[in-house]
Amino acid sequence: MITPVSHVQSQTTLRRRRLLPVEGLVLVNDGDAVQSTDHVARADLDVRHLILDAARSLGISADQANPLIQRAVGEEVEEGTILAGRRGIGSRQLRAPANGRVVAINGAQILLQTSSESSILQARVPGEIIDIEPGRGVTIEIVCAWVQGIWGNHGLGDGVLQIVGSEPNQHLTADLIDISQRGVILVAGYCDERQVLELAAQVPIRGLVLGSLTTRLFPVAQRQPYPIITLEGFGQVPMNSVAFDLLANHDGDKATLNAQAVNPENGDRPEVIIPVKEANQSRPPETVQPFRVGQTVRVLAGLGKSRVGKITGLLPPSTVYPSGLRAPGALVAFPDQGEGRHPLANLELIV
Amino acid sequence: MTTPDKVESLSLISIDVGSVNTRAHFFDNVEGRYRFLATGAAPSTLGAPVFDLNLGVLEALEQLQEFTGRTFLTDSGLLISRDNGEGAGANAISVTFAGALPLKVMTVGLLDEISLDSANMLVRSSYFRVVDSLGLNDRRPPEAIIDAICNTLPDLVVMAGGTNEGASRSVIRLANYLALALNLIPEKQRPQVLFVGNEKLHDEIDNVLGALTMLHLSPNIRPYLEQESFGPARQALNAIYFDLQSRKMNGLLELRELSEGQIYPAAYALGRVVRFLSTVIDTPKGMLGIDIGGLHTTVASAFAGELQLRVFPELGVGAGLPGMIAETHLPQIMRWLPYDLPEDLVLDYLYNKPLFAGTLPSTPEEMAIEQAAARQVMRLAIENSLSLFPPNAIYPMPGALPWFDRILVSGSAVARAPRMEQSLLMILDAIQPVGIATVILDQNNLVNAVGATAEIDPVMAVHVLESNSFINLGTVISPVGNMRGRGNPLLRVQIVHEGEKEDVVEIREGTIKSIPLPPGRVVDIYVDPLQNVNIGLGRGRGGWVRRVAGGVFGLIIDARGRPIQVPSSLNRRQETLNSWQQELITG
Repeated sequence: MITPVSHVQSQTTLRRRRLLPVEGLVLVNDGDAVQSTDHVARADLDVRHLILDAARSLGISADQANPLIQRAVGEEVEEGTILAGRRGIGSRQLRAPANGRVVAINGAQILLQTSSESSILQARVPGEIIDIEPGRGVTIEIVCAWVQGIWGNHGLGDGVLQIVGSEPNQHLTADLIDISQRGVILVAGYCDERQVLELAAQVPIRGLVLGSLTTRLFPVAQRQPYPIITLEGFGQVPMNSVAFDLLANHDGDKATLNAQAVNPENGDRPEVIIPVKEANQSRPPETVQPFRVGQTVRVLAGLGKSRVGKITGLLPPSTVYPSGLRAPGALVAFPDQGEGRHPLANLELIV
Repeated sequence: MTTPDKVESLSLISIDVGSVNTRAHFFDNVEGRYRFLATGAAPSTLGAPVFDLNLGVLEALEQLQEFTGRTFLTDSGLLISRDNGEGAGANAISVTFAGALPLKVMTVGLLDEISLDSANMLVRSSYFRVVDSLGLNDRRPPEAIIDAICNTLPDLVVMAGGTNEGASRSVIRLANYLALALNLIPEKQRPQVLFVGNEKLHDEIDNVLGALTMLHLSPNIRPYLEQESFGPARQALNAIYFDLQSRKMNGLLELRELSEGQIYPAAYALGRVVRFLSTVIDTPKGMLGIDIGGLHTTVASAFAGELQLRVFPELGVGAGLPGMIAETHLPQIMRWLPYDLPEDLVLDYLYNKPLFAGTLPSTPEEMAIEQAAARQVMRLAIENSLSLFPPNAIYPMPGALPWFDRILVSGSAVARAPRMEQSLLMILDAIQPVGIATVILDQNNLVNAVGATAEIDPVMAVHVLESNSFINLGTVISPVGNMRGRGNPLLRVQIVHEGEKEDVVEIREGTIKSIPLPPGRVVDIYVDPLQNVNIGLGRGRGGWVRRVAGGVFGLIIDARGRPIQVPSSLNRRQETLNSWQQELITG
């Protein structure tokens, strides 16, 4: 059975491909260094058009109107520019009702694109541009420590990591938030108070990394101006110890919090990126592998959720669990809390 | 069903790629009849970290090989050949798939209630999400319509309109709007167009749209005002769906090659089985099939060979749970829980599940939450399918389901319940059938395989459906009508087996009762309503019901009324839910 994987890497080389949803313009060059919030490309989205009927405006048939169109596809026009008709006093004319660009001419109909919203593509990770796809986007490379999350509120931010408390199950409460945290990315076990999220926005902090967040805070978290990611999901679940230890080792270091949504089609997940010096850099490890004895795994669901341990044995499909289900499983030994039996479906590899 | 007793059958592998699991089923000839022999299963590998569904397929096949002791895989690949004899490989293979996110579609038609309605019905029979609809009555100016097409960037536009003797100018006008919009979209991102309107306009539509994008012309889905015809259009839609998905799902093209084109969307395969059942079972009632998946849920019904098929994209019990949560109040879930669980714990579970869609419930409480969620997913799908059922079906009362003869339920959430009474209660609580219906559980998740393989050998579908691979849970009698109140006598039922009368059983309102009747046994029953309720014989009328087939739970009298009411107070709720379950256990 191929294992699902979450990455907690103390040092790796990441490549991130950033692509526009439609064709547009790339704003950076090969070799450029970029910050996470830099714009690397832009495209016109949410376009607005006007259909202008030259025949109707000129009071003639479409066949007669077409030769009187004075602008070509692609031309930029200003409000009042003559689009069709004859020049001269008394001649009927069709003028552009707004600034725009002629994008199509079909018979006597002129399609004018009057405005659009630019869609900006951010780098979302700091690093170096190593590849340009003209009109589409870029690939960015960075050497970093890396922690993948499982839920993000879509935000993006850079700041200095600050660990709250000393344990992965630290309950983040309002009394732990203060003005000294301005500009930092807080790391804590879990949060179940709306006031905490709102207070953190007032400080303001630059981001929040949690083991979990209670579901009732889901809408509140989504509208916060700073990025929030959870590593374990929802509830009052502590952060897994491997991720906590790594983040704690980088207490005080600058990090980027990319709280993008999980995208099953391209594998995007929210992530914490901590740039490190380029020594002993390595590629991300092999991720496609079956469950084996000795692997470090995290419990994804059920009893012991978020605990990390080592597989000490594999169990057959006839193994019965307290829910009554039968499924293949594994015996997992936890560093200080004994051994547990878990369905393989509830485990993932931590690498 | 009457089928040939013995056939020169093939050995078949059927692969089903779902959002969570990929399964490889093996069917072979045993004493002249097709039999389902084994299934290998593995997690699906469409997404991260693999991004190639064939790895999951290989794993499932390896497991199948292990279970059967038969060699399917060699260094040269999968052994599929008509020449393969007993003991190695298989003679044919079919594939179904449903694991991907739905595609975006825009529908275009003339009148909202006619051609646009038909176009929407067509696309909802597969894994598409309608992002916009455009009709003649659309009040948006043409510019706004063009903007909408450019901004939503659908994968496909389905255009209907005009009977074959009907409108043409309006259809061409809409096609011109579409052409203008297509001109504005970069060529690589232009949606394909499926035209299913007035067939006399094929040339003109080709002139307007053919040079701009990949245009598919299919027979009219509304050739006459009063007639809809979806068959050829569904096939065209399936082909387009495959084409579009194969660009996103690595490995799909290889599976098509391997299966020599016997590859279908899973919903299509379910529809084929349900339609088939309605043609071979002689009844004025309909057939109902529901497949509850991790990401999508499908409802298929058929009356006298006419299929109605509806896919609910992103409504499921895994990654599709947010679709249910968005349309559900928490008490609708909590009412099915026989445990005293805090609302926050239930919410946390429901929000975590889509993040880790492949995970399994590990405690009885988690199992109860998942089963409650599955009930609600099926309930939403059924409620939203009411408009799908044809008006000429027989309904006991307005707003109720029509009479169904058989109800076939597939999907791991139901089939994998640790106890079979849990499966039955999930089905009855969610679907709330009326009258007399036989409930069949697809315990081995075979229905898609049967539907897909029917193209290779239709006899196989019959043999497997007749075998015990599908579990007959029992015949359910569900009276409907105005009832007096919980505890009042509702029905008297007497079983007569080969002329021998058995004890009369009286059933009280608000209860569910299982009367033992083993699988394979067929009896007549006499039903006597004690209130003004209808079991399909007319309001307040009783009588003989002939040839009632037994099942795992025998004859089940569901006297809980419609809709089923669950007490709101925790103690009474626990007591009621436990009593319903206990009744099925003890019979």
